[in-house]
Formats: sequence, C-alpha cells, structure tokens
Amino acid sequence: MIKRNVLIAGNKTYHDITNDICQPIETLPGKGWFAYLAIAKTILLTWIICLVMIVGVGLGLLGLSHPVGWGTDITTFVFWIGIGHAGTLISAILFLFRQKWRTGINRAAEAMTIFAVMTAGLYPLLHVGRPWFAFWLLPYPNQRGPLWVNFNSPLVWDVFAVSTYATVSLVFWYVGMVPDLASVRDRAKNKIRKIVYGALSLGWTGTNRNWQHYEAAYLVLAGLSTPLVLSVHSIVSFDFAVALLPGWHTTIFPPYFVAGAIFSGFGMVVTLMVLVREGFPQMKDYITVDHLEVMNKIIMTTGMMVGYAYASEFFIAWYSGNDYERYIFLNRALGPYAWAYWIMVSCNVIIPQLFWFRKIRRSILVMFIISIFVNIGMWFERFVIIVTSLHRDFLPSSWGMYDFTVYDFFFVFGSFGFFLTLFLLFLRTIPMVAMAEVKPCLSVGREGGHHG
Amino acid sequence: MDDIQKQTSENTELIPQKKYWRSLEEYRNEPEWADLADKEFTQSPWFEEDIENFEKESGEGGWARREFLKLMGASLALSSFACVRRPVQKIVPYVHAPSDIIPGVANYYASSWVHRGEVYGLVVKTREGRPIKLDGMSLHPSNQGALSPLAQAQVLGLYDPERLNGPRKFDPKNEHPFRRTQEPEWQDLDKDVVADLKKGGVYLLTSSFASPSTQSVIQNFSRVFGAQHVSWDPIGYDDVAQGQEVSYGQNIVPRYRFEKAKMIVTVEADPLSTYQLPTEYARGFSETRRVNKTMAMLVSFESLLTLTGMNSDFRVRIKPSQQITVLMGLAYELVVKGKKGAYAQDSQALKTLKPYANAAEELGIEKALLAQIAEDLWNHRGESLVVAGGLATRTEAGLSVQIAANFLNSVLGNDGTTVDYRNYIPGFGETTSSLKSLISKMKSGQVKTLIVQGVNPAYVSEEFKAVASNVGTLIYMGDRLDETGHLAKYIAPDHHHLENWGDAESAPGVLSLQQPTIRPLYNTRAFQDSLLTWAATKDSSLKISWHDYLKNQWKKHASGNFEDWWVEMLQKGTLRTSFVPSGGSRSFRTSALSQVKSVSSDGQQLVLYTKAGIGDGRYANISWLQELPDPVSKVTWDNYAMVSPSYAEKMHLKEGDLVSLKVGDKNIQVPTLVQPGVHDDVVGVALGYGREVGDIAKDVGVNAFQLVSGDVYSGQVVEVKKLGKNSPLANTQIHYNMMGRQIAVQASLEEYMKNPEHIFHHHEVFSVWPKHQYPGHKWAMSIDLNTCTGCAACVVACQSENNIPVVGKKYVLQGREMHWIRIDRYYLGSPSDPETVIQPVLCQHCDNAPCETVCPVAATTHGPEGLNEMTYNRCVGTRYCSNNCPYKVRRFNWFNYSKIQEPLNMAFNPDVTVRSRGVMEKCTFCVQRINFEKNAARLEDRQLKDGDIRTACEQSCPTTAIVFGDMNDPESRVSKRFANDRTYKVLEEFNTQPSVRYMAKIRNWKSESENHHQEEVGHS
Amino acid sequence: MAKPVGGLLGVWSSEDKLLEVAKKVKAEGFQKFDTITPFPVHGMDEAIGLKRSKIPIVTFFACIMGTLTGFGFQTYVFVYDWPMNIGGKPHFSLPAFVPIIFELTVLFGALITVGTMFAWNGLPNFTRVSPHARLSDDKFGLFIPENDHGYDVTKIDQLFQSLGAEEVVRVAEF
Repeated sequence: MIKRNVLIAGNKTYHDITNDICQPIETLPGKGWFAYLAIAKTILLTWIICLVMIVGVGLGLLGLSHPVGWGTDITTFVFWIGIGHAGTLISAILFLFRQKWRTGINRAAEAMTIFAVMTAGLYPLLHVGRPWFAFWLLPYPNQRGPLWVNFNSPLVWDVFAVSTYATVSLVFWYVGMVPDLASVRDRAKNKIRKIVYGALSLGWTGTNRNWQHYEAAYLVLAGLSTPLVLSVHSIVSFDFAVALLPGWHTTIFPPYFVAGAIFSGFGMVVTLMVLVREGFPQMKDYITVDHLEVMNKIIMTTGMMVGYAYASEFFIAWYSGNDYERYIFLNRALGPYAWAYWIMVSCNVIIPQLFWFRKIRRSILVMFIISIFVNIGMWFERFVIIVTSLHRDFLPSSWGMYDFTVYDFFFVFGSFGFFLTLFLLFLRTIPMVAMAEVKPCLSVGREGGHHG
Repeated sequence: MDDIQKQTSENTELIPQKKYWRSLEEYRNEPEWADLADKEFTQSPWFEEDIENFEKESGEGGWARREFLKLMGASLALSSFACVRRPVQKIVPYVHAPSDIIPGVANYYASSWVHRGEVYGLVVKTREGRPIKLDGMSLHPSNQGALSPLAQAQVLGLYDPERLNGPRKFDPKNEHPFRRTQEPEWQDLDKDVVADLKKGGVYLLTSSFASPSTQSVIQNFSRVFGAQHVSWDPIGYDDVAQGQEVSYGQNIVPRYRFEKAKMIVTVEADPLSTYQLPTEYARGFSETRRVNKTMAMLVSFESLLTLTGMNSDFRVRIKPSQQITVLMGLAYELVVKGKKGAYAQDSQALKTLKPYANAAEELGIEKALLAQIAEDLWNHRGESLVVAGGLATRTEAGLSVQIAANFLNSVLGNDGTTVDYRNYIPGFGETTSSLKSLISKMKSGQVKTLIVQGVNPAYVSEEFKAVASNVGTLIYMGDRLDETGHLAKYIAPDHHHLENWGDAESAPGVLSLQQPTIRPLYNTRAFQDSLLTWAATKDSSLKISWHDYLKNQWKKHASGNFEDWWVEMLQKGTLRTSFVPSGGSRSFRTSALSQVKSVSSDGQQLVLYTKAGIGDGRYANISWLQELPDPVSKVTWDNYAMVSPSYAEKMHLKEGDLVSLKVGDKNIQVPTLVQPGVHDDVVGVALGYGREVGDIAKDVGVNAFQLVSGDVYSGQVVEVKKLGKNSPLANTQIHYNMMGRQIAVQASLEEYMKNPEHIFHHHEVFSVWPKHQYPGHKWAMSIDLNTCTGCAACVVACQSENNIPVVGKKYVLQGREMHWIRIDRYYLGSPSDPETVIQPVLCQHCDNAPCETVCPVAATTHGPEGLNEMTYNRCVGTRYCSNNCPYKVRRFNWFNYSKIQEPLNMAFNPDVTVRSRGVMEKCTFCVQRINFEKNAARLEDRQLKDGDIRTACEQSCPTTAIVFGDMNDPESRVSKRFANDRTYKVLEEFNTQPSVRYMAKIRNWKSESENHHQEEVGHS
Repeated sequence: MAKPVGGLLGVWSSEDKLLEVAKKVKAEGFQKFDTITPFPVHGMDEAIGLKRSKIPIVTFFACIMGTLTGFGFQTYVFVYDWPMNIGGKPHFSLPAFVPIIFELTVLFGALITVGTMFAWNGLPNFTRVSPHARLSDDKFGLFIPENDHGYDVTKIDQLFQSLGAEEVVRVAEF
C-alpha cells in the first residue's frame, strides 16, 4: 500500500499532544487574540444596532419592495446555513469513510457549524414583519382552538430542518468533546477550572465499558447526521424549488444547494484553519498542509459541481421551452443584475480552478485568498437566485428592482462579528482539536506504526 | 352657522331635518375633539349662558364635571367605536340615542358635488355621523352611479388637517407679532367686513359653478353692494362656448352624446379622462363600443398621449399647429372632394378649404387614411362625432379649431344629434379673460374690496399676486391658508361641500340637491351664508339662512305639500323640472369660417395638460390624488416634461433628467419623462403642481401655470435645455412590454367576428388531485378590457373603501405603493406611436392559490365561497406569499402606515381592519360588503340577487367594465360573461384557476391598416 | 457501576501493552476488572470480554418512534383537527409531510441514542474522580475492584509488577 504521510507532524508523544492542545485554554490570551476579539465585537455591535433599528422601525429600512420580497435577509440566511454544513460533514461523513485526516480539524469545524447555524437561525426570525410573533411558526398547542401551522409550507419544513440540524450538531459536537473536557479537568490546577470542566465533562473517566457505548453512539450519530446534513440544505432549497417562480421552480435545487453548501463550508473552514495556524503555531502539527490540501481538492470538486449546476440550469431553461424560465436566465446573465451573476460565476467556478496546481493547493496565502473569494461568490449565488428571480417574474407590469440601503450592508456584514466573536471565545475555552481522536492516529504514517 | 342652528331648533320636527340634523349631532367625544367641540359651543345658542365660565375652565385644561357634561351634551351620539382606540378619558354612552343612528350600521344620504360644470350625483355613506365614502348616485342622469377619481377623493379633503378651524383676521402692521393673526368671532368679522363692503368698489371672484340658488344669492349680494361678480376658472371651456357663439350664435358648451355616435374623431380632446364630463362621456362611449357589427370606431389626432388616444382604434400624432389642418383636411375631403353636405356649394366654405387640399402630406399620413376617415364619418352622418378641444387646442388658433370642428359636425349633420346643444352644459364659466380684466381693474385701483371664493388666483397667476396689494381689502373664503389666503386681510372660511347645502344644474332643467352629511367640523360658515349675512345688513329681506333661501328657491319646482316633496327630494337628490329645452334647430354660419386661421408650426411646441387626478391643482393637498398613478404615464407625485422617445434620443435625455423649459421670458425646470406616443415636436407639461403651501402639495412638481401666456396654453415655441441634474420620477410601472406573453389580450373586430375562439391561446391544464367543492356561492369577477378605459376611478374607490395607506414619493420610488387594484398598461407596436392596452389587476382569488400553499402560519387560506382570505392578525409577515404570487398583487406594510395625522383617521372605513406594521394585505373582494349584503338578505329572509353585492371598484366604474357576482348562479352577469368567448384567464397555464377573468379587448381596425399594429416595442 | 468500590490500579504507558495485560488478567479469571484509557483502544472489548453494545437497537426503535410521530401528528392536524382548503390542495397531502417526518426521525434517533448512552455509562456522575490524573492524558490503566472474585491485593500487585506496570495504586473507591 502507498506510504502515508504522518497525520501529526513532529514526533509527538501523547503527552505533547495534550500539552499542545490544552495550552490555549490554560494560558492567558495574548495581545493578538484580544485585538481580534475587539474587532469582532465592534462588528457585532454594528449588527446589534442594525437589528434593533429593523425590529424597532420596520423592514422598510431594508431595500425590500414589491416584487422583491426577499433580499439580503434570506440570502444571508442561506449563506450561513451553507457554511454550517462543512462541520458536520467533516465529522460525520468523513468519519464513516474512516478519513483519519479529519481528526485534526473536525472539532473546530463543528464549532464553526454550530456558530454558523446560530447566526443563520436569526435571519428567518428577523426577516419577518412581526418578529415578536415568529414563534407562531412552531406547531404548539394553544388556547385559540385548533390553530396549527401550515405543513405544506417549506418555511415550516425549514423550522424543523434547521432546528433539528442545530440540535443534532450540538449534541454530536458535545459528545465528541466529553473525553477531552475530562482531560482538561484532570490537568486542572486551580479549583474553579476543575469544577467547571468537571461539570462539563459529566464525570467521564474513560473506562472501557464507557468507551464501548460511547463509540457505538458516536458511530450512530455519524450515521444519522450524514443524511441530516444532506437534508437540511435540500429543504432550504425547497423554499425556492416548491415556489412557482421561474428560476426557483427547479428540481436540480436540492443537490445543487448541497454541493454549494459543502463548497462554501469548506471555504470557510480553510479560512478559519489558516487563521488558527497563524494564531497558534503549535497547531501546524495537527492542522498540516496535507489536511488543507485535501480540503482544497474538495473545494475544487464541489466548485465544479456548482459550475455544472449553473450550466444545466441554462440548458434546462432553454430545453424546457418555458418562456418565463428562458427569460429569467437570460436576464440573470445579461440583465441589470448581471454583475452579481458574473461575480458568482468567477468566484465559484473559475477561481477555484487554480487548485489544479499542487503548488497553489499547498500555498497557505493563496488558499486563504481563494477561500475568501469562495465565500463572497457563494453569498452572491444566493443573492442571484433570490433577487434576479423575484425582480422580473410573470407580469412585466410589476417588475422592479432591489434598492440597497446602508441597513442592508450592516445586516449582512455585522453577522460576521457575531460569528467571529463566538469562534474566538471557543478557541480559548474548548480544546480546538479532538485529543481523544487525534491520539489514536499518532502512529499513522510512522515507521512500523500500525494503522490502528 | 348660527342661522343654520337657530333654524334647526325651530323646525326640528321636520323629518328631513330630524333625519339629517340628528345625524349631525353625532360627535366623537374624544379629547382631541374637546377643543373643536368647545368652539362649536361658544357658537351655539343653546349654551350662551355657559360660554364665559366654560372658556375660563377650559383654559385650565382639566376635565371639570360641568364642561365634561357640556361636551357630553354636544356629543349626544358618541360614536365611532371602530378604527380608533377607546379614549383614555371617562366617557359616557348615548344619553338619549338618536332614532336613526345604529352604531355599526351605515346611513346613506343623497347629495351632489359640483366641480366647475361637472355635476356628480352622490350617495354619501356615513358611519356614526362621519362621511367615509362617496359613491355615485345611480339616479343621477350624468354620472349614473359612477364617480371620477377627483370626486371620490373629496371625502379625504373633508378631513384635511390644514382646514381652518375658524375665521381669521390679519393685520400685519400690528406691533405685537402675536396679534398680527387674530381669530375673531364671526360677528366681529362681519362688522369689519361690512364696513369695508359699504365703501363700494366690491368685486366677487368665484369659481364657475352650476348652482342656480347660489347664483341668485350672488345676484342679491351684488345688488345690495353694487358688487361685480367675476366667475373664473384656471381651466375651462370658454373657447368652446366662444366657438359656438361664432358658429351658431349660442354661447353654450354643448353636450356630446357618445352613446349615439358610431364614428368618433377626437382632436386633442380627452373626453374619457379630463375633458368636460369624463364620467358621463366614458359611459356613453362604452355603450357605443359594445362588441358587435355596429361597434363604434374612435380615431384620435393628438399631440400628447391621452387616455382617449390610448383607447382609440387609430391614433395619429400631430402637433398643435396641425389641429386645424386635420379638421379642415377632413372637411376638404367631404365638402370639396366629396361634394357632400349642405355646404358643398357654399363659396365661403370652398374658399376657406382650398388651402387644405393636401392635408394628408402635411400630417404625414397616407392620403387613403384621411379619405377613409372622412368617408366613415360621412357613412355615419348624423351619428358620427367630431370633438376638438382641451388645453392642447388653446393656441392662437384656438377659436379656429372650434369653428372648424363645428363646421365638420354641421356638414355631417351631427349638430343636434350627437352634438346636443339643447341639453348643453351650464356652469362651465370664463377662464383667463375674466381674470385678466379683473387684474387690470385691480391695477387701476378700481377694486377696493375683493372677495375670493373657491378659487386660488394667487397660485395660478403671478400677476394677481403682484397686484393683490392694490386691493384695499382682500376677503378670502377658502377653507385653508393657501397662496391666496396668505394675501387676504380677512378669511371667512367656507364649509366643505359635505358640510353644506347647495344645488346644481347638470343640464337645463336637471337639478340636483346637495345636503350636508356631517355637522361642520370647525367653526366655518357656508359662503352663501356669509354673503347673505353681510347683505342682510343693508337689505333686511335677506335676513335668512342659506338653507331656507335654498328651500325657497326650490319652492317653485314643488308639487303638492312642499315639505313632503322636499323630503322626497332629499332622498332622491335629483329633479327633472318641467323645463323643456327649446326644440328649435340651428344652422352653421359659414361667415364664421372667415375667422379660421392657421398658425406657424416651427420648433418644439409646448402643450400644457391636466391629469385626471390633480386637475387644476385645487385639490392637490389630497394625498390619494397625488399618489394615484397617472392613467397615462403611471407616474405619481410629480409633473414632468413629456417628450417622445426619438426626441429624447436626439437630446440624450433619460427619464428623470432635469430640463429647463423656456417659453418667452418664463422658465421652469422639470424632470423628463420619455413617453411613447408623444409627437416628436411636442413637449407636454401637466398643470396643477408646484403648490407653495400644504403639507402634501407643497413642492410636489413645478407650477406650470407660469408658462400660460394670456389664454394661450399650448403651441408656444419652447426651448428645451438639458441641465445634467437628475430627479427620479416615482413611476409605478417601469416595464410596459408584454414580452409576447398572453396577459392583456386584444384582437381586431374582424378577426374576432371571423373566428372568435382564435383570438387567444387556450392552455390545456389538469390537476393531480381532486378539486375542492364550492357549494353555495362562489364569488368571481369579470373585467372587460374592451370597455375599461383605464380612468383609475376604481383605484381611488378601493383606496377609500379599504383604508389603503399612502406611502409618499420616496417609497413609491422603492416600489412600495399599496394600491390593491392597479391598472397595468402595455404598449404594442412601434415605440414612437404604440397601441396601448390597459388591464386592471387585483387579487385573482385563485382556486389553487400559490400564495396560500407557502404561508407557514396559514394566515392566508381559502374560504368556502372561493375567496382567498387574508387573516391579518395571524400574519407574521414572511412575504413568501407575495413572492409566490404570479400576479404580484399582494402589498406589505413595511412601516406602521396606519398611524396617520388626525382627523384624517375619521375617513377610515370602520368595517375594514386597519392593518398594522409587518402584515401582508391585498384585495378582499370587499368581503365586508359581501357579508353586509348576505346579512341584509338573511334579515329580509330572501335570496341574494345578482348585483346586490357590488365591490367598490365595480361601483365606481363608469363603463361597467368590472362585474362582480356568484359564478355558481348560471343567471348572474358574471356567469354569462364567463361563458362569453372573449373571456380568458391570465397565466392560465399555471393552473391557478383565478376567479377574476378578463374579456379580450376588441379594436375596430380596418383590415388594410391592421398590419401596422403588430410587432412589439423593444424591451424598455 | 452503581456504587463506588475500592480496588487496585495498575498503570502502563502504551495501549499495546495494556492490551496484553488485559488478556492476562482475563486469563487469571477476573471478570469485573476494567481498563481506563485516554482514548478507545482497539480490541480491548474482546480482551476484557465485553459483548457488542446494544445502542444501535435503541436507535432503531427511537427512529421508528420519530417517523410515526411525524406522520401521525401532521395527519391528525390536517385531516382531523384542522382541515383547511389551502391552495386547493387535499387535506391529506403526504408528499408535503415527508420532510418533517424525516427530520423528526433523525431528531428522535439522535437524542434518544445519546440519552441512552449517557444513562448506560452512568453519566453524569460528578462525585466520581479518575483514580489517576494522567489516565486521560497519556497513561493506560487497568483496575480490578475488590468485589471481583479471587481479589487478592498482594497477588494482583505481583501480577501487575510482573507485567511491567509503571506504578500500582491502591484506590480507596472508584
């Protein structure tokens, strides 16, 4: 068999691993980290102000109009949900495929997922006209006689899909975390730390009898999460596919959205991992360039998948002979929002092609820039789908435009503040690499080491 | 007002009085009304003894028991539970309930509204004493149940927050800045005014009106003070009257009988929207346009695109200088070439017509076409009609155009048939000339005291403003401090017409009554009362209230017991007196032709026009009218320079580019609107904008009256300069190309007659699941695109009926107008001179409604009677329904629109929920009316008849284009129309199964020129 | 492992070594003993002689439960409790129910599985402390409780020493 590269560089012992990974938690953060936090929090603040205005004054502050009833709100929702796919994908699907390289990144990736979904979850709540009644989307027994939700509506499916996804990802993440929390507890010098992590680790000791059930459960969760990941974005895509609009009413959407989600998710993972490597040099041994390269390969592949989707949409629009459909797609590529469309195409299809070159795949700087482009491109993909389909639908008399406002900008931009703040806190409170999963891989690729 | 009330207290036993005055006493007992109410009191004779201490106490603000009871006394009928929050203060219910007021049940009063010569019979719907909706009076011969947008919006004008709450006296020289504006009592005001009047040199400037009784009041007033009455309107039809004078020796404005006309030629005139009596004419037109072999043909020659032109079968773009050419050219074809008609031998006629031998070339149209039109006119002689007029014809040659038109009608023998001079239109008075002479008198100082009523000369005429200072005393009787009000010394505010008595004459011998439907909101006084009060100081025989005066005036028409008859009159509202129009025929004086002259035609020519909504601008402060998309341009909240696409290209102008228009030494700056159908050498600007006062009207558009020179409104050469600045136009429809989709269908009469089923494509649709059944009623609507003229009456009707908010220019620009019914307009044919198809679009109430499926909270669902129901208080506002609506008829409350300035909220219809922020809304098929009629039927224990339920849009429609009813009832008009082969469903292929269906528009095209209506406008 | 017991703990520093030890200890006839490791060690179950975990079976039934709930609830609401004409669609529109049915299946499956796992592992248990701090770091321990039959401190101590234990700790209770 082929000689495998070591998964963990620099001849570590188990103890080294523990030390390396626990270091950020056990030492005080440096200036750099505080600087990042300060920036993130400022952005978060702009977001909060923006949201308060929107809830307080009204949605009219955004560029929404007739006929464009959804704009940056739902675009950003779908964007973050998409980001939220990589984590569970890495931890679940790659786990089932026994991809050991995942162990270096899965913890951080899952954290990213959780935070992305948290961010995303706020948008459906805030995009409604009366957010204080958003809970009406839940089918809860009430005193108003029989008054339930409309199970025909994709938005209700969303509610179930997103909340299930959030819950299961969270559980999955936490379960994976328990043994590591136990290690932190056992290393803890001061009392509070011992108590806190003691509580978090639920008194895990690591007896084999525990490990046995634990592994079984973890495997099962992985098995359940896999279809879940695929379902969530499929269901999000139903928001559009189930509707009547040309440009929305397409059967290709579920796979197309899932591919897009993985694409953007991995993009975000690469962005973050590169930053982590810079922030915590010792992590370079765990998040090796090999790992990043593999992710870049996936980015390129999924990038080509979405490219295929873009192409086939056009083909079908032409092939179906549906005038409305045909017009919408011509309008996408040539109409007033062509700029958005071409940003999307170049960021998602063309730029990732650079990853054909090994040099580029392994160049930290380049991959960082590309991953940023991927994220921009994926935001615009959702914008194109939503706005260009809405702004020119059936009756030309009611055609209109989306009228950007400053609120739109902060509504989108501010969410990154929220996301980054959470992520920065995560880095300092929770082992950012799954020790219990890395340690078994220590031997991989070493001389005489067996592939445990 | 004193008089009115005294008189009431005297004869309250009279039923009409009771019925009427009781309802007046319903008054809201809410704090914000306290101050109004107390003003009422300080007036009212019943509380004289209380006045002083009342004022003392109310000065201290609190709610002492006595004054509270006093307020109670005023608000016998405490009312309007609906649509406003319960007042915070302690309130007391009916002390003794009025017999005819049932809270929650509307009262309807017959009345009428006069706008210059236009007389509309009204049915005023009041709730708890508040007029909330104006409907057309079906008994009235002129508007026959329909109502123009302007007329319907008057109800909002009643509640305009800027109305004066009492008389004012200005004394700018007063050293105390606070005393410069005083609020005198009426009695004091009267003293001062009378003192001035006695000095003589009194002039009375009023709007022209068709009210005999008011006329007589004015005569009396003038007699007493030797006053001169000047009747004037910014826009009128005295050119028509003059033309009649010269041609027939009768100074009248004849009435056109479109219903009798089979071949109609209009030159500039826009009888379907802005010319003379649009509502009456539109109805007549729709009757003669019924789809059958004898369907009438309409040919329009016009410089701007008007609604009439949009509805015409042929449209020829001309410039003002060519108007005369068109008319004389046609006359030439008939008289000279065709040797037809009584004047074929007449030397004068032949002489005058000679120069117009090759009119066709001058107009740039095929000779054959002109000949064809002339021939068609001749074939329908006696039932053809030539209408020339409107501001565009008011050039130097204005009179010639009228004479030429009259000549044509006489040649064709239409005079007396389709041109009905026996039932002419009284009440269209003088325009510019009368004001001109008044101004010269003002200059020369002959005018010592000037009383202005119902018009706003300071807005229209710079000159008037300039010389106003020459007038010793300017007394203004407007209801607000507008441009003229600011010049006045005394303001004696007039009632709103809904608060006032009156009468009107829509045709000789056709009278209608105007009765008040609410107690005056403020301390105002009918201007007739003011005149009488003042006159009475010299002639005691005039010591009589306007109400009694009016009754006396009507005594002569009475038959039997007057009081009984009077009650009947108040209920019917309209009266045909025994007066018989003189049967005598008249003949055209060919000598008139000698006055026909043509004008030079060089350069870019200015054409001023008025919009259906804004008119001459006197009602510009009514927000509904400002936000009403102009039927032609679809632009709101602005006027602009209308230019043709090719001219715009030549000048590199895009929509919204500011241009300066220079006419003589006058110069205005307006944004551009590129308007297909405008003649390349013409620039059109709407009047009525650019008011200097008024929360709503101020700074909306530019005042184009500056460009009027003398009585020349159009045809002047205008210099257009691009200014490089841009001010966007709030256009509600940016795209007007149907993209080859089957949306608004039109076909030619010929092809329709040949094979009716091929005028549009039928889609085969099927459903995978069984349909829901609709036993009982299934409500549906049919809209006949053939009779719909696009006059927009339905839009305002809907707005008034359903409490639809106004959002303002900023948000219309963002595409957030809230109208539940919109009127789409598509262009076909060449961009420069397109065919226009008009299509009202409202919620289609689809059986398979896409909006319902996607609503997560089931806030929009389907009712058992086929209605697509919107549950506002369940809606969380995801806007998913709007996204998924193929017709895009749903409207979202982006902000809290329902919070509006008081007392405008009194215009709300209590039967319709006022929507909160963040909920979706849309057309409900006037479900409140459906339920009301169903209840009524149930109470009377009868079946609902077809036509019992009429939606607001249907009711206001002058052409019965809209018909609402039960499609389960095979006898209903809707079912019959649905069975018609012109009926189709928009976007049928998506199987939404709409309950609103359209009937294809039929154009009465001549086959040879059909081809010129094919290929479409390039994408806008 | 309900109530804590005392016992003897041997500590080694490689998982492979521990595997042999476990086999030996098993051969010695001990049954209740257990290993304590920082990560799951392959083959340890066989070495100790544990049967396959029953977790998956629990999951299976949990999922079935979710499916039935999803289907039953939606059908009850739309067909019986609140039948409405929504967009002309039939009351019982199964295709529209599928997404929610699926989501509930997964949700029930996941939560109940994890719940069971914790329960069977006696977690959370905040009183229990690891007998040796580095067993969650880089050391591998084997613990024989007193109540295991044939428990004899000296004997076991010798056994551990003979197997090259780095240290042998006497645990008061674990």
